Amino acid sequence: MNPNHNPQSSDGGRHDDDAALTEFLASLMDYTPTIPDELVEHYLAKSGFQSPDLRLTRLVAVATQKFVAEVAGDALQHCKARQATIPKDKRDRQQKDKRLVLTMEDLTKALHDYGVNVRHQEYFADSPSTGMDPATRDE
Amino acid sequence: MSNGGGKTGRHLEKPSTWKRKSGADDFAQAIAKIAVAQLLESQGFHSFQQSALEALSDVAVRYASSIGRSAHYYANLAGRTESNAFDVIQGLEDLVYVQGFSGASDVDHCLEDSGAVREIVQYVNEVEPIPFVHPVPRFPIVKDRELTPSFSRKGKVPPAEHIPAWLPAFPDPQTYSLDSTVDARGADPHAANGKFEQERENDKGDRSLLSSQQQMVSGMFENPTFADPDDAKAKKASVEGNPFLAPPLKVGEKEVAPIAPPTKLFNNVALDNPVARNFLDDKSVSVLETFAPAIEAMKSTSCDSGEDQTTRVLNENPRVRFKIGVGNRFLGRSTGLSPEKEHQRTLPWFAMEDEKDDRKRRAEKILRESLENPDQLVQL
Repeated sequence: MNPNHNPQSSDGGRHDDDAALTEFLASLMDYTPTIPDELVEHYLAKSGFQSPDLRLTRLVAVATQKFVAEVAGDALQHCKARQATIPKDKRDRQQKDKRLVLTMEDLTKALHDYGVNVRHQEYFADSPSTGMDPATRDE
Repeated sequence: MSNGGGKTGRHLEKPSTWKRKSGADDFAQAIAKIAVAQLLESQGFHSFQQSALEALSDVAVRYASSIGRSAHYYANLAGRTESNAFDVIQGLEDLVYVQGFSGASDVDHCLEDSGAVREIVQYVNEVEPIPFVHPVPRFPIVKDRELTPSFSRKGKVPPAEHIPAWLPAFPDPQTYSLDSTVDARGADPHAANGKFEQERENDKGDRSLLSSQQQMVSGMFENPTFADPDDAKAKKASVEGNPFLAPPLKVGEKEVAPIAPPTKLFNNVALDNPVARNFLDDKSVSVLETFAPAIEAMKSTSCDSGEDQTTRVLNENPRVRFKIGVGNRFLGRSTGLSPEKEHQRTLPWFAMEDEKDDRKRRAEKILRESLENPDQLVQL
């Protein structure tokens, strides 16, 4: 896509956009989003959305996937930044805890940038050892 | 946390349907969690807190729902019921306005060249597709009701002229005709049972099923007397063993069963195989009687402990003791089990429950040993 493209420049540009959008939607049929179609269809149906077009479902799935990936990427940066701020002496002690764990704290910060306000309940206690052991990961 | 908050909100909205909906939603949320976890992994996370994953998947699901909601809204605004691509893009832009995108400041910008879509296109081109790990069935599952087949489908002619053939067929007459059921039961209760079950599978129940069920139940209670062996002792034992199973009034009025094995023979069979005995008595025997040989064996073991004759006692004459043992067990005493056991302590039966298991185990062990070493038996 041309980032400098002005949509109102000419009729020819509109036709290009039309073709590009159609092509993109068609290419979604070959792209398998991580979020399964059935899940998206279920929630779309619950929200009142009606369309027999699988491409629109895929479009929503891809948009959601992009959103989640962006939030996760931001949270990852927060996580890395937090680990970097740990003083050197402590870091040596916690060398074994170098694993990148998605914590509620980082997620809250990341989601805040996207207009989603998530907060721990004051009494909510997530075990600090959660996510440290791969065996407990899928519990 | 987020989960709890969401639940509370929905609960307040529709308290009556919350219970029913939770099942489908649990499944969807579980799938969303897996998908989000996959995305997290692809971003480079090693692990996650459970609460964070739940929160993020909940947010993701709400994101998809709100795209759908605003797309639906824009379709309705345009006078349509089905949404098209532009409704979805408009809905997407509504959500992305928070962060902003190129061209967002232009109110009249063309949706075909939306900056939001352009970002998605870029994302799709950059990121390798990660398929979902599991095959997902379509949900929620809507079950088709299985209707009762009509007369015409069953190939039957309606019993009366005024009944059209497309109406659901009547069940088989056996299910609602009282006489036939009674006859069948009188002839052979088990055959009647089978037929009844079959009919119930074929046709849905009707009101006379109740009466036939009642007959079945009464037949079940008559069974002990019906297959009553003329072994009076066994009868007595069973009455003593479980007074609820043996209706005392019907003992006299039933005809004596044709098979009357001699007591000795009968008990020999029973001695060889307690299960066979159980079968012969047609369930009028209590569980304790089934285990009686074993119990008897333990008693003799506890009496003759340390001696080699335990197996011999077991094989020699367990029968007499077995009767007494059962009777005493339910009289609540262990006195007078047999003359040589008079010195045993007297305990109510419930206090002996702990001992029972121990003894049974020992008896089984002895039985096994005797089976494994038949030559010892020969010596005895």
